[in-house]
Amino acid sequence: MADFVQLIINGLAIGSVYALAAIGFVIVYSATGVVNFAAGQFVMFGTFAGVATLVNAQLPWPFAYGAALLIMALFGALFFVSVYLPLRRGSIVTIIIGTVAVSITMQNAALLSFGSWPFRLPSPVEDSAVSLGGAIISLHALAVVAVTAVMVAGLWLLFNRTSVGVGMRAVAQDVQAARLMGLKVNRLLAFSWILAAVLAGVAGLMLGPMWFADVNMGDPIALKAFAATIIGGFGSLPGAIVGGLFVGLSEVLGASYVSSAYKDLISFGIMIAFLLVRPQGVFGEKIQDRG
Amino acid sequence: MNALEARGIHKRYGGLAALADVDLTVKNGQFVAVIGPNGAGKSTLLNVLTGLAMPDEGQVLLAGQAITRMATNKRIRAGLGRTFQHGRVFARLSVLENVMTGAAIRGRLSESDLRDFSMEIIEQMGLADVAHEAIMSLSYGRRRMVELSRALACRPHVLLLDEPAAGLNSGEVDQLIDRLAELRAMHGLAVVLIEHNMGMVMRLAERIFVLNFGCKIAEGTPAEIQADPAVLSAYLGEGYAHAVV
Repeated sequence: MADFVQLIINGLAIGSVYALAAIGFVIVYSATGVVNFAAGQFVMFGTFAGVATLVNAQLPWPFAYGAALLIMALFGALFFVSVYLPLRRGSIVTIIIGTVAVSITMQNAALLSFGSWPFRLPSPVEDSAVSLGGAIISLHALAVVAVTAVMVAGLWLLFNRTSVGVGMRAVAQDVQAARLMGLKVNRLLAFSWILAAVLAGVAGLMLGPMWFADVNMGDPIALKAFAATIIGGFGSLPGAIVGGLFVGLSEVLGASYVSSAYKDLISFGIMIAFLLVRPQGVFGEKIQDRG
Repeated sequence: MNALEARGIHKRYGGLAALADVDLTVKNGQFVAVIGPNGAGKSTLLNVLTGLAMPDEGQVLLAGQAITRMATNKRIRAGLGRTFQHGRVFARLSVLENVMTGAAIRGRLSESDLRDFSMEIIEQMGLADVAHEAIMSLSYGRRRMVELSRALACRPHVLLLDEPAAGLNSGEVDQLIDRLAELRAMHGLAVVLIEHNMGMVMRLAERIFVLNFGCKIAEGTPAEIQADPAVLSAYLGEGYAHAVV
């Protein structure tokens, strides 16, 4: 039982990271219709922003995290200005291919800046653990779940209780009508990209202590976030959360009770099953129902 | 000063002249209608006025200020409001949230003031009982009223209405006519109405512009328009004059 509790917490922790990556993915997709193939590299940049501020610059924790997230916010704005804005008049496919190009560029930029040797990103609650139902739970894992819960609550408030969030939802549905309400559409779209980058930054900072900071870590994260959005429902925020947690749990439980060699097969197998049986996912709408 | 003015508007789509040398003048607080057969260029004119389409030639002025190349959202902030022909509410927002998107241009309001302001508009429009409902659960007629509320929340000086009575039953049209007359009296709005419902046009409009094949063929009071042979021939039909008489 103790082992099971430990696995559940660990699964929820890694699932929380996938959920945050998936939420960033969904925010951008909902607002712009763009499937961001650089989403995994955004998380990787978040981890390396932490490496730069915590490990290299040796800043105190709060400043290091703040600086890393500020770097990610600036990166989101830069991405909007230099990739999305110039390409937005083209087809969506053009922008999507642009994100693929950027993902390759980001990976190589990280390789040039940090080298191929993995780093270890420390956690502020390193080596701390609590006992829960006989299981020894890493405090970092609990912190990841708690931080994700706070982020999700904050996002809910943003989208449902503020005019900025309502405006973002309006832009996501009908850009032309949003312009006719006087909404500053470009500013709201820029905010969507910045928000996605900051969420990826939070995911990266939390993932760093669980995985090694490796310039190649982006692709597996992107695939997991993608699986989470498919399972939860493409374009659905609750879906991204549920899907992320589900992928994290299936990965950890599958590795323990089946085989670590098949842990990815289980989550991707479930994703394929959803695509075949319920392509709209748990919370998603059928594509023909949108609009 | 005129509330809204379009001077010598030309707009071509490929070889088709959607608008050819069209003028439109709307005085402060005046109710103007633009009528004409389908494809006459009425919606294109509204698109040019709101910046959704740029004219090839001509000028648009709002309260005397040239806005011809101004972005749509800036025109709305400068005092234009518009509804769409087929009703384009934000389907996944509630009634209140839809109206909030219009009220949000009043950037200096706090979040709670913005909600209160939106609720005031909703109450004025008789939608208070459904303020928190999902908009797609409303009847088509009430959705059109939400769209009108949303445009009013922008606090426009000039309101452009693109076939607001389309799809409404006669009772709903009567309600809409009363509501528009009230709103105009309450807010001193200038209104540009595009509509095929001639009963509504003749009851509300002080001045009517008639378009046909992208050209303005007549302009005048409802009585003048109803007696204009060119309008009867191109749009209203010869029988209309006899029916009115």
